[in-house]
Amino acid sequence: MATIAAHGITAQLPRGFEGRIFVRPPLHGATYPVAQFATFAIPDDSGDFGSGAVQLMGPSDVFVTLFEYGPESVGRALFARQGRPTSFADSDFSPARLRRGLPGQSGTQCFFTEGGRPFCLYAVLGSHARRHVLVPRVNALLGCFTVSPAASSAADIPVGRPGWN
Amino acid sequence: MVALVVVSTFVVLVLGILVAGLLRSHADILRSLHELGVGVGDPAAPEAVGAGVTPVPLPAPAVVPMAAPGTEPALGAAPAVAGVTPTGDARAVAVDHGDHLTLLGFLSSGCTTCTAFWDALQTPERLALPAGTRVTIVTKGPDREVPAEVQARATGRVPVVMSTEAWLDYEVPGSPFFVLVDGATGRKVGQGVASHVGQLAELVRRAEHDRGSPPATASPAETGLDGPARAAAADEVLRAAGIHPGDPSLYPRTLDDVFPSGLGAAGSAEVLGDRAPG
Repeated sequence: MATIAAHGITAQLPRGFEGRIFVRPPLHGATYPVAQFATFAIPDDSGDFGSGAVQLMGPSDVFVTLFEYGPESVGRALFARQGRPTSFADSDFSPARLRRGLPGQSGTQCFFTEGGRPFCLYAVLGSHARRHVLVPRVNALLGCFTVSPAASSAADIPVGRPGWN
Repeated sequence: MVALVVVSTFVVLVLGILVAGLLRSHADILRSLHELGVGVGDPAAPEAVGAGVTPVPLPAPAVVPMAAPGTEPALGAAPAVAGVTPTGDARAVAVDHGDHLTLLGFLSSGCTTCTAFWDALQTPERLALPAGTRVTIVTKGPDREVPAEVQARATGRVPVVMSTEAWLDYEVPGSPFFVLVDGATGRKVGQGVASHVGQLAELVRRAEHDRGSPPATASPAETGLDGPARAAAADEVLRAAGIHPGDPSLYPRTLDDVFPSGLGAAGSAEVLGDRAPG
């Protein structure tokens, strides 16, 4: 089971999943961490919510992104929910909830605050018809990552130490 | 007479410079060949080393051809590669999904032999690898490599993961080192050292050829199957896709189950009662 950690997010990836946790270089204003997990190869140039990646999904694939918003969002109604959902039901997924509708796929999204940090969790199924198989895979992932409280996230950025090859 | 001596001296000087240049060029070529492990003679032999220079044995990379599955002892399962990127982000690359090959290139930023592979692996189209082959470069972690130097070599076209743990997992003896993984089985199908880029591409192509192509899906008219044989062939294809007897997707109840984002999505989402609010 691979473990990755950066920017205050740690994930122990279930078998078959890969992932990345990154912060985009700020062009205008601040940027915040994004974590992406998928059962297929995630392109390095994919968008925060999976544009460029979801097009590559097969019918047996799932894609999940955890997108952090700025601290100014804490306390707003959209992020009133405390903690991530523990699981999704098949009925939570719908083709109408995709950010970008692709034939056969469906998605869901959930806004919440965890550790004082506001997040959106967006999940895509490669095949809505196979949601009874794919939703459990998304649910398995929900319990595999932890979010550090807001104040300590900056200290988790790894610092390189040179050494001999 | 004096003019003749001057001209002769000048010609001798020019020829001397030319010879010195040729000797230097020859030495550079020999040094490069030795670094690539294909040099002539022993690079550590005293006669091959200049006066006053301590002989240093250069490790000649042993070329280990990538083995085809079934022809060599099992190379074992291939674990995921997890670490950080040169910019401090986290990255995990799984090698056990899909039916494509993954080529892991274990490189170092300071390794001279690796330079050509840094360039080639980040332009996979130049390597003419089998279609769908995914390339990932793995360096040692930030405890052993300087992230800025790795970042200077990364172009962003393929994942670059810094992970000392991956080097240990894959028992990498040194750089450059390559591992080819079959995504369908999650197992290594080849590993070893290549001296130059062309050799690496050839090794991957050979492994792909030996691995064999998945059975083509042909129509019943093309296969000549009918009746029970056709049903059995269909069952086999469905099983390969993870759809087993009793799978609910075989028994759609609404149009939305069949055409989730087309007409069915618009027309039957309300039947299911799962249309997104707002």
